[in-house]
Amino acid sequence: MKKKLVSFLVGAAIVGSAAMASAHFQMIYTPEMAMTKGGKIPLKLVFTHPFEAGHTMDMGRPEQFFVVRTRGENSPKRIDLLDTLQQITWTSLTNSGQAWETVYRARGGDHIFCLLPEPYWEEADSYYIQQNTKVIVNVGGEPGAWNEPVGLPTEIVPLAKPYDRWTGNVFQGRVLLNGEPVANAEVEVEYMNHKPLLGSNSFAEEAEVEAPQRSFVLQTIFADKNGVFTFGIPKAGWWGFAALDLDQNYQYKGKKCSRDAVIWLQAKDMK
Amino acid sequence: MVLKYFIAVAVLFTSVTIAQAHTPLCSCFDNGDETITCEGGFSDGSSAAGVAVRVETMAETVLVDGQMNEDSEFTFDRPKGDYFVMFDAGEGHKIKVPGKEIVE
Repeated sequence: MKKKLVSFLVGAAIVGSAAMASAHFQMIYTPEMAMTKGGKIPLKLVFTHPFEAGHTMDMGRPEQFFVVRTRGENSPKRIDLLDTLQQITWTSLTNSGQAWETVYRARGGDHIFCLLPEPYWEEADSYYIQQNTKVIVNVGGEPGAWNEPVGLPTEIVPLAKPYDRWTGNVFQGRVLLNGEPVANAEVEVEYMNHKPLLGSNSFAEEAEVEAPQRSFVLQTIFADKNGVFTFGIPKAGWWGFAALDLDQNYQYKGKKCSRDAVIWLQAKDMK
Repeated sequence: MVLKYFIAVAVLFTSVTIAQAHTPLCSCFDNGDETITCEGGFSDGSSAAGVAVRVETMAETVLVDGQMNEDSEFTFDRPKGDYFVMFDAGEGHKIKVPGKEIVE
């Protein structure tokens, strides 16, 4: 009896979490995560639905946008990029939304781009969403502190380099809230199915793959008791991971706010 | 006793293998002020501080002879003619960076 009650309560908790499922993904996009040489790289910050190049949400001015550069055993250097952001309009297949862009000069090592966006009011669900997002660009192959927490309120710390995954590799990440692992965190996974076109600030109309059924558009997995999730990468390209509602009592402007953590990887085919 | 010895030796060999699995890396950038900065390192993230760096003409005349600083960097004045940078971490761990390939 006791066991049944526990099962029911766990089930209710899962249903409750599932209600937060959104398919929204905060992007920090640049064409290449693993660069052979340094140089200027474009960065686009877009809040959208990447598998379907669907509804793009208006982004307010981010609370924080910075990069942590680490190379070898050198001390990490944090560079604030917030004042470099320029407002743009990003066009998806269904609408256009306010987004941001900048250009960054990258030299050797890991560049951990971190975005704390302004919480977005989701009218349909009557709550805010804030997806704290990381993308790691490496130049030249010399690693830095890619596997260390940056210290964001919500954060996914990769356990494999997000920029060196072959197609067919697995990717693991640890979900953190204020630096502590989040057991059983719900993680949504989505493929960037339409190529971002940087010249026109839009998604390509052509899709890379076709989902055989709705479940494949947005996959849901769960972290283990240590906050670690595992995902096998079936196709080259960009894959996004969003750990949802990690701070369930968190409020913004007196309203519920889903505090999420996002990380992206870029996988390559062996050829 | 023999088993313990075997395990100890096996661990030692494993460690040596891991230590040798790194490859040298060196990237150079034009700072836009007539100077060049080279960043050295290894694929396992270990430091290149103290590693020898030479700037040479194409005829292998040494123009600058130095070493990576504590941040594994080396900055020098850009030579007038053709040149290359040699990151020299020992036999099998050398990298030659042609000056023509060094951009901002």
